[in-house]
Amino acid sequence: MRTATVLSAIVAAGLTVGAATAEAQTSAGIQATATVLSALTVAAGNNLVFGNVTPGVNKTIAIADPGAGTFTVTKAASSGVTLSFTLPTDLASGTDLLPIGSWSGAWNTSATTVGATAFTPSPAGTNTTVNAATALTVFVGATVSPPLAQPAGSYSGTVTMSAVYF
Amino acid sequence: MRFQWLVLLAALAAAPSASAQISVSPIRDLAFGSVIVGVPSTVAPSHPTRSGQFQITAPTGSKVQVRLTLPGQLAGPSGAQLPINFSSNDAIAIGGWPGSTPDVFNPKATRNLQFTGGTIYNVFVGGTVSPAANQLPGSYAATITLTLTNF
Repeated sequence: MRTATVLSAIVAAGLTVGAATAEAQTSAGIQATATVLSALTVAAGNNLVFGNVTPGVNKTIAIADPGAGTFTVTKAASSGVTLSFTLPTDLASGTDLLPIGSWSGAWNTSATTVGATAFTPSPAGTNTTVNAATALTVFVGATVSPPLAQPAGSYSGTVTMSAVYF
Repeated sequence: MRFQWLVLLAALAAAPSASAQISVSPIRDLAFGSVIVGVPSTVAPSHPTRSGQFQITAPTGSKVQVRLTLPGQLAGPSGAQLPINFSSNDAIAIGGWPGSTPDVFNPKATRNLQFTGGTIYNVFVGGTVSPAANQLPGSYAATITLTLTNF
């Protein structure tokens, strides 16, 4: 009888252990992570100015010339941006058109073309490097090609630059 | 009788523990990457690289209950907090065997899974962070815990 009682106790203990195991829990954790970047802004700077041009004579403004167009990008440090452009194919004066093309560009972390990185502005976009700067200056140049019969007048067009983080 | 004792004790000692047969492992963080102040950002649970992922292992035929403990904020620099929300379809469980159908569920509710065709389930988690317009830039993080109960 004593043995049977002991065995019953052991069996009961075993069942208790089994019941506890059936409700066993285990867990693991992962992280949810995000990096918040400051707002990205683009500001227009200098206009791209060709000044007087002569019919039949192409005129180029290089990125280092005083007439180069500029934009300023304000961004988060340690980030890169994609620079995209909407570029005119002609400048207009009423219904008269003055062809423009051969676009050139450069960006720098300071407001100078010395040490700037050259690129070709395009709608497809150009990635800057990932850098620690919080501001970029973008320089834009181009060439106008007035034909011999180009009507006299004041011509203008709009160059639009967009920037997004990549 | 002493022999029976020994047999019984040996049997109890040899009985496999159910808790040793189920396990959950962290596979991948829920990574929102770079987000911009004032712009909410969502990662779907089906995203191939950014969704969070756990892997559960259990014997074929077993049933387990999954419970996710979700944060309401990610912690950032200087005590800043970034709100995070989970919608009712921000979790997916997929069995690791051929023909398993993805099971979309609410990560805020428990979910029972049955290992009908194999020993592995993957649980994926998505979510949305909503940085305020004046959110302090920097890195934010919080823990998502998956607790597994077998029954």
